[in-house]
Amino acid sequence: MNVIWNIASTTVGEAIRRRVLLVILLIGVLLLSIIPALGILSARSETSITIGTMYAVLRGTSALIAIVLTIYMLPNEIERRTIYTILSKPVQRWQFLVGKYLGAVLALLLMITMMTIFMVLLFWVFQHPTAEKMAEIATQPFMYWMEMSLLAAVGMFFSTFIAPLVNFFLTIGMWLVGTVLNPLYDTLSKNGNTQPLMKGIATIVTNILPNFANYDTKNPIINPGQVIVNGALYKWTTVGYTAMYVGILLLLSIVVFDRREV
Amino acid sequence: MLKDLKALYIGIVVLVCAQFGLQMGFIFPTWQKNYSVTAGGNISAQLSPDQILLQLFGFREFLAGILWVRADGFFDEGNYDAILPIIKLCTTLDPKQIDIYATGMWHIGYNFTDEQQRSDRRYIASALALGKQGSRENPETYELFFETGWMWYHKIQDDAWQPVKWFQEAHRRKDILQARKNLLSHAYMRNGQIPEAMQEYFKLFDEANISAKSATKDYSSIQIRDTLENNVDTELVRMVQRGWVAEQRHDGSFETGGYDAVPPFDTGFSCRVVVTAPRVIHFEGTWNVLPVGTRIRIVMRDMDYPGAKIAELDWDGSTIVNFEPGVDQTYMQDDLYVKNRRFNHDVDMSKDPTMYPCVSKNYLLEFYYSPRIAPPHIQDKFSWNGEGMKDKNFSNEEIRGPKEFVYDPFPMASDGDKKLAPITIKSPGQRVFYTTLTLTRDQLLKLGEWTNRTPTVSTSNYKQTETNSDTEEIIKVPTLRGK
Repeated sequence: MNVIWNIASTTVGEAIRRRVLLVILLIGVLLLSIIPALGILSARSETSITIGTMYAVLRGTSALIAIVLTIYMLPNEIERRTIYTILSKPVQRWQFLVGKYLGAVLALLLMITMMTIFMVLLFWVFQHPTAEKMAEIATQPFMYWMEMSLLAAVGMFFSTFIAPLVNFFLTIGMWLVGTVLNPLYDTLSKNGNTQPLMKGIATIVTNILPNFANYDTKNPIINPGQVIVNGALYKWTTVGYTAMYVGILLLLSIVVFDRREV
Repeated sequence: MLKDLKALYIGIVVLVCAQFGLQMGFIFPTWQKNYSVTAGGNISAQLSPDQILLQLFGFREFLAGILWVRADGFFDEGNYDAILPIIKLCTTLDPKQIDIYATGMWHIGYNFTDEQQRSDRRYIASALALGKQGSRENPETYELFFETGWMWYHKIQDDAWQPVKWFQEAHRRKDILQARKNLLSHAYMRNGQIPEAMQEYFKLFDEANISAKSATKDYSSIQIRDTLENNVDTELVRMVQRGWVAEQRHDGSFETGGYDAVPPFDTGFSCRVVVTAPRVIHFEGTWNVLPVGTRIRIVMRDMDYPGAKIAELDWDGSTIVNFEPGVDQTYMQDDLYVKNRRFNHDVDMSKDPTMYPCVSKNYLLEFYYSPRIAPPHIQDKFSWNGEGMKDKNFSNEEIRGPKEFVYDPFPMASDGDKKLAPITIKSPGQRVFYTTLTLTRDQLLKLGEWTNRTPTVSTSNYKQTETNSDTEEIIKVPTLRGK
């Protein structure tokens, strides 16, 4: 466990020092800071637009950080040959992989927390919400962190056997597809004209691919008055889903990485 | 190298199955119930794939806001056609923006007019569909229920039970403004439900009285109470004076009591229709009622217009917002204004061939008057159900006879999962005025044998008169009592 933790903490340190990630973070923060001005787009839905757009920026920035962070994680170690130094010590490959992944997840937690604090402060300055509202707003980024943890696992899995550039597009593609799975399936299931075969394929795809739409729970936050049934249970179940899916991807990564020549 | 790969593979398979079950069994159904943006919408039926993708990547509210600002620019430029797709897109991107539905409904229902400012009523079904969609998406607030009810009450004026339904639904929502509650009573009146209207007025008056007493400097509460008091007074006087109270006794006192609605007044309708040029129709005739507030509805439509009803269309027939009404269908609705008991009116459809394509072979001309949509001073004579009105030739008690309508209430979150009982609205029958004439396409467009002739059709009782209708007659009407 110590080994994994050491690798994870080193990975966090590396992530903080990587300029490209800091630039993405800075762009995210800059985008967040101009959002309060967009409230004028709707007289009565100012709050909805502000929060909705802030979440979209936070989610997009986090996804970009998660992808850029993970796609280079293993290839860089191999390219710089630093992996030999680590694996020559009593460190198993799976420990290295898990440590790297945990480091990425912690780095993401750090960056998402920073953006969330900035976002809530900004919201407080421009909208003067109640403490309850601010607390409510701060809950959704936790779901985004879960989402990015899954995305990081996807990126890491592909990085065990695919070059970074291809991996970038593949992972971003997986994320984009994953974010539309629930809404598309929702639409197909509500549409009476959907062919049974089409519906069957959609059911399998929705339930097999990593479903990033599960984490988009902002609707009741930006549109108050919605009644949520089993809200807490849903979030804990989603955490369980994340753990399972991350488990699948890490196990697959371990199998592939274990057989790979480095 | 890992040795026990079999256990690893088994672990992977178990996890895949477990996540599949979790996703299918709990996560997706709960997500659909709690977090899906559209409550009842079917976005794939309304948007192109690229538009669907736009809304799914998290910038829905932002995009909807930007598009709505753009639509505002089109409003200013008068480019109304450009606004329609934006309304569609905005409501799909952000189904919670009530203003877009409300403004969109008004725009679709009111702003599409021909050269003579007659509205293209074929759009009304789409405006209502937008209201219905907005209500489904925002069931917790009264606003879109009220807006939809208002569209029925003010713009459509037919199917008087519909505004009752929508205003009743608006009243079930707690956020309804006190000042807007009065409309339900008005809707009851129009539907002929006088006891329900009074009951509602008294209930509102009691509520307003409490609010006004507890208010110190809230003058609006006091004003609302005073308005309600005035409304109650007026309606009570009308109920007695029009003989409605006597009618309920069924003891003959209505007929003998000297009430305003007795004896019925003969409206004496007659009409001649002349096609003066292709797609230009001249209406002239008689109508013995006072000049102010006595508009006779005229409808000219394809004989086989889909969904047409008597003197109206099936306004409620559309569930989707369709911005392209049939290019091969013609429906024109206008009003005849009376001056000195005669009317002379031209309807020019020649400048709007898109709106009035006139491709059908035969056309029906309908003439219709309902006392329910008449102004109060006319209703003082005709009463709510047409008791004080008759037309020797064209009175009709069949087409708007008594009916019962049943609807399922729109569920709210506070209703929980319980099944709401259907609500019945009883609509008392009324005596209206109704007659029809027909025209052929050749007559309307002056084709074939009508090229050099003037097509003319008229009611059987029409008599040419030499009276100059431009001469102002002074009609002394100290009271509308039928004496």
